[in-house]
Amino acid sequence: MEPSGRTKWVASILVVGYALITIIPLLWIIATGFKSPSDAIAYPPKVVFDPTLEGYVNLFTERTRATEETLAQVSEGATWYEAIVHDQGMVIAGPSRYGERFMNSVIIGFGSTALCMILGTAAAYAFSRFRVPLKDDLLFFILSTRMMPPIAVAIPIFLMFRSLGLNDTHLGMILLYTAVNLSLSVWLLKGFIDEIPIEYEEAALIDGYTRFQAFYKVVLPQAATGIASTAIFCLIFAWNEYAFAVLLTSGTAQTAPPFIPTIIGVSGKDWPAVAAGATVFLVPVMVFTILLRKHLLRGITFGAVRK
Amino acid sequence: MNAFIRGLLDIRRGPWEMVASVLIGVGVLMLMQPFWMTLYTYSFIVILVGTVMFLTVSHFPE
Amino acid sequence: MIQSQISKAAEATPEPVARRIRGLSDRSIAWIFVAPTIFLLLAVNIYPLLRTIWLSFTNYRVNRPNNDVDWVGLRNYERILSDPDIWNTMQATAHFLFWTILIQVLIGFTLAYLINKKFKGNNLWTTIIVLPMMLSPAVVGNFWTFLYQPQIGLFNYAVGFLTGTDPASFSMIGDVNLAPWAIVIADTWMWTPFVMLICLAGLRSIPESLYEAAECDRASHWRQFWTITVPMVLPFLMLAVLFRGIENFKMFDLVVQLTGGGPGSVTELTSINLKREAFEKWRTGYSSAYAVILFVTVFGLASIYVKALNKVKQR
Repeated sequence: MEPSGRTKWVASILVVGYALITIIPLLWIIATGFKSPSDAIAYPPKVVFDPTLEGYVNLFTERTRATEETLAQVSEGATWYEAIVHDQGMVIAGPSRYGERFMNSVIIGFGSTALCMILGTAAAYAFSRFRVPLKDDLLFFILSTRMMPPIAVAIPIFLMFRSLGLNDTHLGMILLYTAVNLSLSVWLLKGFIDEIPIEYEEAALIDGYTRFQAFYKVVLPQAATGIASTAIFCLIFAWNEYAFAVLLTSGTAQTAPPFIPTIIGVSGKDWPAVAAGATVFLVPVMVFTILLRKHLLRGITFGAVRK
Repeated sequence: MNAFIRGLLDIRRGPWEMVASVLIGVGVLMLMQPFWMTLYTYSFIVILVGTVMFLTVSHFPE
Repeated sequence: MIQSQISKAAEATPEPVARRIRGLSDRSIAWIFVAPTIFLLLAVNIYPLLRTIWLSFTNYRVNRPNNDVDWVGLRNYERILSDPDIWNTMQATAHFLFWTILIQVLIGFTLAYLINKKFKGNNLWTTIIVLPMMLSPAVVGNFWTFLYQPQIGLFNYAVGFLTGTDPASFSMIGDVNLAPWAIVIADTWMWTPFVMLICLAGLRSIPESLYEAAECDRASHWRQFWTITVPMVLPFLMLAVLFRGIENFKMFDLVVQLTGGGPGSVTELTSINLKREAFEKWRTGYSSAYAVILFVTVFGLASIYVKALNKVKQR
């Protein structure tokens, strides 16, 4: 029963309308990153503006006010980003913390994802191929760990990390995010591995492969797409996570989400710098989401809904 | 309705899970309703009973 | 105990699969494969959980490590469950839960229904609609405070433009009456796509033949909608509602960045309240009991959720 042309037309207008409204805040973040501070807080809000990289420069640098004389002295042979800072009547005092925080997000995100994929693939394979008694209970237990409110979990984790010296360390955060993501990866990967016909492995076993070889020469290549999309889901979660990060890290291992809201300018909140920080942080996830679009549904339902 | 009661008496999983789910649901409503403090006070015990019951009865035969 | 389970597992594995040709036995492989996961979850989830339960019966405070730790029995639970402030927190959470779920289900289902009309380019627009869902709630929440600024904020400007009110005359996050709606709007913007995606899956799972049969019976579209579409999508909708319910019951990042629980405590949801008790007032024992209450509630809801998951899986 194909919908009529007119129905399709009305449907497309409504959906496109909603999509445009929903995308405005995101475009606004990106646009604000390229505004000057006065354009950012202009009334009425400016849609057309002179783009500047001031926000990005402010994001990555610490600045101090300088006198006219110093400015005149340093303006000779200044690079483009120094020139932008000089125009504000300031000089660069050094790099800001944002770079560090961003790198922390990268290290913790990729570290936990890698670990999670190794553990998750192995466990998912075992759950998929062996008859584990109490399998349903174990799987439910694994899933329920993800449902728990992070703040409630954080109380004892905080105590445990403190006594183990893991507070505010990369290792601690990697282990924690791995544990949280394991539920998702085991459930998703089990679904992907379930779809690989068991006959392939049996054939490999008969050909003289060991179970181990059958696992990494037959099952892993077959599950590659599934593993890749699961990895992206885990990475996005670790990348976005805020509650644990804000409670368990403060300096060395702090990731970007707790840091970005704390960016403050010299006079009041420096919105272009905040927006620039958010843009640098959010755009990779948007790209990944577009890559993932076919597996999105699977990811958000722990693999229960496939199509 | 008769099948439901027979399921309960026969210790079947389905109807008992339903009872446990309803208990949990009622408990959550009691926890968050704005009307009566007493209901709030006893909400946790209802949720706890429902949850423990759910865990137990999910091992009953289908 | 786990080892014995896995050994039993290996023994129970059917013969052709369990064929041992050379190298490690299946039993050891199963053990090697599952053990690290279980071990990590025991260390990072179960041990902390047991510790929380134990602490919830004491008056321990992290910031006073030298004080004696006394066993107080059920007193923490009694105090929490008779505290009107926490009851208020629960009601703030209930307001947030009820409205976000209601609005998201209405918009999400409508969008899914429209997208399922398969107009040209529907995949592109679906992807665009889905974008907010995958972003960091804290970073996005922080930016929404900018959109909600009186006068300069885009949201206020848009509302002012459409209704003619002065954009400087109201503050979404500063006003006691508006703040609960500010968080509902931001959450709806972020999570409607989630409900939409699941509804879309439900709609796509309906076999075309059902509609064809109804067509033969000359059932009206309205009737087809209520007798075929709605009942077939309902299990999926249940799934979406339960999951959003659990997620928003423990909502923290988006709201703490948006309003920080204020003004006063009108948007102080349970997780934010718990964070205050545990990490600002450092009442560890008391907040452990609070955490256990949230644990059990979420655990109960999660078991219903898994039941709903399995129901959908069979389709």
